[in-house]
Amino acid sequence: MRLSIYRYNPESDAAPRMQDYDIALGGHDKKLLDVLMRIRETDDSLSFRRSCREGVCGSDAMNINGRNGLACITAVSDLKEPVVLRPLPGFPVIRDLIVDMTQFFTHYNSIKPYLINDQIPPERERLQSPEQRERLNGLYECILCACCSAFCPSYWWNPSKFVGPAGLLQAYRFITDSRDTATRERLAYLDDVYRLYRCRTIMNCTEVCPKGLSPSHAIEQIRVALLRESS
Amino acid sequence: MRLFHGQRAWVLQRLTALVVLLLLALTAATLLIGPAPSYERWHALATSAPGAVLIVIFFAALCGHAWVGVRDIVLDYIQPTALRLPLLALIAFILIAITLRVTLTMATHFTVGA
Repeated sequence: MRLSIYRYNPESDAAPRMQDYDIALGGHDKKLLDVLMRIRETDDSLSFRRSCREGVCGSDAMNINGRNGLACITAVSDLKEPVVLRPLPGFPVIRDLIVDMTQFFTHYNSIKPYLINDQIPPERERLQSPEQRERLNGLYECILCACCSAFCPSYWWNPSKFVGPAGLLQAYRFITDSRDTATRERLAYLDDVYRLYRCRTIMNCTEVCPKGLSPSHAIEQIRVALLRESS
Repeated sequence: MRLFHGQRAWVLQRLTALVVLLLLALTAATLLIGPAPSYERWHALATSAPGAVLIVIFFAALCGHAWVGVRDIVLDYIQPTALRLPLLALIAFILIAITLRVTLTMATHFTVGA
């Protein structure tokens, strides 16, 4: 299998370059991450993140043949050669396929990604009806791999101000949670020309999410909630 | 105080789009029903009181819609505030001028027509 991989080491390289690899696949090399691990057997200078290797941790998000995805759940058989691998677009590169996620997580922290409820806690737990619990489906599954935000043109244009699809999906996860009592504050924070309304409904986020979630739907729901709040 | 609001502009953009769409559909329907479109018919439509009011509403909605769209482009691509604010002021001036010009023209026609 032929791959063309983005290489850049800021300590030794003046500029990024693409490096070609020809790899003979073994019987167990089913996913792209398997191929990358095989490359590492001969070239241990190639840097990339990976952890769970089964689409749960979101560490190995990268741009695969022009489309963001997780290397660990991308089937080798589905890829057109040469497989071009680049770091997540729009994110500062630390080295090779590793990007700096600081700003991404700053946005994530800004939406207060935790349950806020100042009421006296019940003896056992805060109960939800099946319908209330149902509303969290399609939201809580986000693994923060950043495939969506790194595929969003609005995020490329305003990475420091637009919260981005991942952050907004997470924001809606708490806005719609029946146990959370800070809905008004959350909505007030997002009612901003940059934080929420930079989204132009391009829907790349929904198109590219490796978990099949729909950040654009969540963003629409936040806008509807804001309308209800102000009317 | 925040200079640029989020929701207000978003609502304005959608409402004005709706007004523009409705008035375009109304114009198309008016022209399709009845005699063939001619200068005299256009003139009569534009100088009638409801026609003139609807034309002013159409251009006001169109300029309001354009304001949000062009403002978004400026906010995305023009980052220095020193350049951004004069540019936004210029765009606002042009759009307001267009609306005023249409209003004055219609008023003149209406006065002359009356």
